[in-house]
Amino acid sequence: MARVNPDFRNTLLNYGTEDFSACYNCGNCTAVCSLSDENNSFPRKVIRSSVLGLEDELITTVDPWLCYYCGDCSETCPREANPGELMMSVRRYLTSRYDWTGLSQLFYTSKIWEIAAIVFLALVVLLLFVFFHGPMTTELTAEGGVKLNTFAPWKTIELGDWIMAGILSFFLLSNIFNMYLKMVVKNKMKIPFRFYFTELWALIFNFFSQWRFKKCEPREITFWSNLKSGKYNYWIVHFLLMSGYVILFTMIVGFLGWFQTETIHRWYHPQRLLGYYATFGLIVGVIYFSVLRIKKQNEKSKHSHFTDWTFLILLFITAITGILVHIFRINGLPNLTYYLYVIHLMVLFPMLMIEVPFSKWSHLAYRPFAIYFNNLITRARNREKN
Amino acid sequence: MNRNRKIDFMINDKDKTEEYDVLVVGGGIAGEEAALNLANQGYKIIMVEKDLSIGGKMIHLSKVFPTLDCAACITTPKVSETARHSNITIYTYSEVKGINKLNGSGFMARVERKPRYVNEETCTGCQICEEKCPVFVQDQFQYDLVGRKAVYVPFSIANPRIATIDMDNCILCGACEKACPADAIDFTQEKEEIPIHIKSVILATGYKLFDPVVIERYGYGRFKNVVTAMQMERQLVPTRPYNNVLRPGDGKMPDNIAYVLCTGSRDATVGNPICSQVCCMYSTKQAQLLMGALPMADITIYFLHVRAFGKGFEEFYQQGRSMGVEFIKGKIGKITEKENGDLLVRYEDIREGVVKEAEHDMVVLSVGILPDIIPEDMFLKERPELDPFHYVMQVDELSNPAKTSMKGVFVAGAASGPMDIPDSILSAGAASSETATYLRRLS
Repeated sequence: MARVNPDFRNTLLNYGTEDFSACYNCGNCTAVCSLSDENNSFPRKVIRSSVLGLEDELITTVDPWLCYYCGDCSETCPREANPGELMMSVRRYLTSRYDWTGLSQLFYTSKIWEIAAIVFLALVVLLLFVFFHGPMTTELTAEGGVKLNTFAPWKTIELGDWIMAGILSFFLLSNIFNMYLKMVVKNKMKIPFRFYFTELWALIFNFFSQWRFKKCEPREITFWSNLKSGKYNYWIVHFLLMSGYVILFTMIVGFLGWFQTETIHRWYHPQRLLGYYATFGLIVGVIYFSVLRIKKQNEKSKHSHFTDWTFLILLFITAITGILVHIFRINGLPNLTYYLYVIHLMVLFPMLMIEVPFSKWSHLAYRPFAIYFNNLITRARNREKN
Repeated sequence: MNRNRKIDFMINDKDKTEEYDVLVVGGGIAGEEAALNLANQGYKIIMVEKDLSIGGKMIHLSKVFPTLDCAACITTPKVSETARHSNITIYTYSEVKGINKLNGSGFMARVERKPRYVNEETCTGCQICEEKCPVFVQDQFQYDLVGRKAVYVPFSIANPRIATIDMDNCILCGACEKACPADAIDFTQEKEEIPIHIKSVILATGYKLFDPVVIERYGYGRFKNVVTAMQMERQLVPTRPYNNVLRPGDGKMPDNIAYVLCTGSRDATVGNPICSQVCCMYSTKQAQLLMGALPMADITIYFLHVRAFGKGFEEFYQQGRSMGVEFIKGKIGKITEKENGDLLVRYEDIREGVVKEAEHDMVVLSVGILPDIIPEDMFLKERPELDPFHYVMQVDELSNPAKTSMKGVFVAGAASGPMDIPDSILSAGAASSETATYLRRLS
């Protein structure tokens, strides 16, 4: 027996949703949704669980992660209950529930805590530099570049990166495991072991392509005409941003010795090309999404939670300071390079530490994993039926 | 009767202003009921109807719910009685302009009579002109299911049953003029204004139907086999256009019909968040009638909540169910058309919580009702207040349901809110007795 908990509404209101209790349960949202199908019919059931406060139902459901906020449901909702924004807020709520440390909940529901954590981590970076930085030499390399590796030897920074990546992965992976327990294990499905391998493609494919964004657009219209009419712009820009991020993260954590050099390569060197592509992706992405959020014209950008803005702002500062470090370095401006390098890391570090395991950026893992888990469940269920 | 009056008035040119006790705006079932009640008490009534015939929406219906009585059989005697009553003067194809409250002695107003281009006194309604007219246009009284001519008698049981030339579509060929045996065609007619003085006003302006073109995802207007419930209603009346129930796309006899309830009602996105109060029942009624007209057909009604709240409604709904009408809980999200004209409706089956797609030959949109908003120029200065949904506000709904914010102005029927036929008649009864009381107190 489920216990009805009407106060749960207030909990969700903290995560950004407007009042959804106007819902009269007609199912219009599910019926207009291009992403829902017979196996996963949403968002109405998620709204129902939210209205009734059935937390157990909500925590075990995959559906919010399969929603890409096309906005059709909110546009056509006869009660103007805004199902799309509720789904977004449930995703925030779920992020905070998968996180066993409780930090996510703190950051999502309190601006003060989020900002304090960012400032704290920035200060940690600052202090580390104050005490452990290398000589701030104004001597330039033979090519006229700044000797950045003297000020901040890449080996030391890489060590720091690895520690950070270790902490990040620990939190993120344990949260994903928590998600797995809630989504798959709690559902009590018997999943044949080989499915875990055969469905792995879904995880990888969706991580890199975000293919479900495509499904927001009407199926009757061809891929090319949707592309031409700008229907896929959101998806493309999101892809630019995401690929830029993945490239930079890989270069910084895995190949810092190759990425942070004192030699100034030719412009067509892969190090510079990849760097330019990635920063271009980040800047275009941040500007595009910020403009959408300011204009508030399409449904998915109408409502912004403060964590959405924190994320965009941090990302923007990181990208801009990164570009400046590069410009100052190759033009031989040592002091500016050093200061900006410190600022760059002071923003980058808290952004990764807070956003990836505990906040908005965790969707990079939860989304593809949810599709993966959902494929497991669906396949196992279909097997049981036959 | 109005002919005689008009002649009288033309002879007595001294004072052009016509005197009445009550102005009834609207000649539907509510207006007729209110006018008859007052006229039978001896009051002089002027009824102004903007359409070509009185009778309102009811005269176009097949049966009424929940009794399944013939609608025309109930309304036509009332229409005739109204038209022939010695105390009632009717102006059809006319509009009321500039109602102005006088200090202590009622209201002044103007009745603007639009030209019919047919002499009302001489036209016999023989329809020979219709045969000769070369212009075909869609017939609004058959809800665009078939065509009519540019000169036409609105429909067979119209009152007055006389022809009118539709000047927007007339090509001025003069064929009707030559053919008319009564010499009634008169292209020189012009708009005419009649000043009137009245003691009180009853607003019985009724409602209009929601236009589902607004809801693009239902494809009305694009998909030929998606029709409104009024179009289906017309296919079920004795004067029906096809003499059978056929789907408009290809004339096939449908054997799988879907009803989409709450089309344009209880929907904030189209600006009408309230229940229309009639759609559940008229859809159930049509489903039952269709089972008679097409014994082999499957009828499915997609509903949100069945609101069977009136006397005999629940029994009527249960009767529908037991006759085999399928009721599915779930709002239709979108409709797509297949190549053969069949339609796919997508909905979430709320009982199972699963999104589904079903195929139907024909989809009927159970459109809701909207207020027929009183035009700006009907009142000169003071005007009755409207409620948040643009119906005429009932300022004292519980003890004086016909009272409006303007003294001496009363409201009857669906002008005050969505209601069915029995409620409209009750409301008109209230309006007439409140008006009578008001008039008694004046004298």
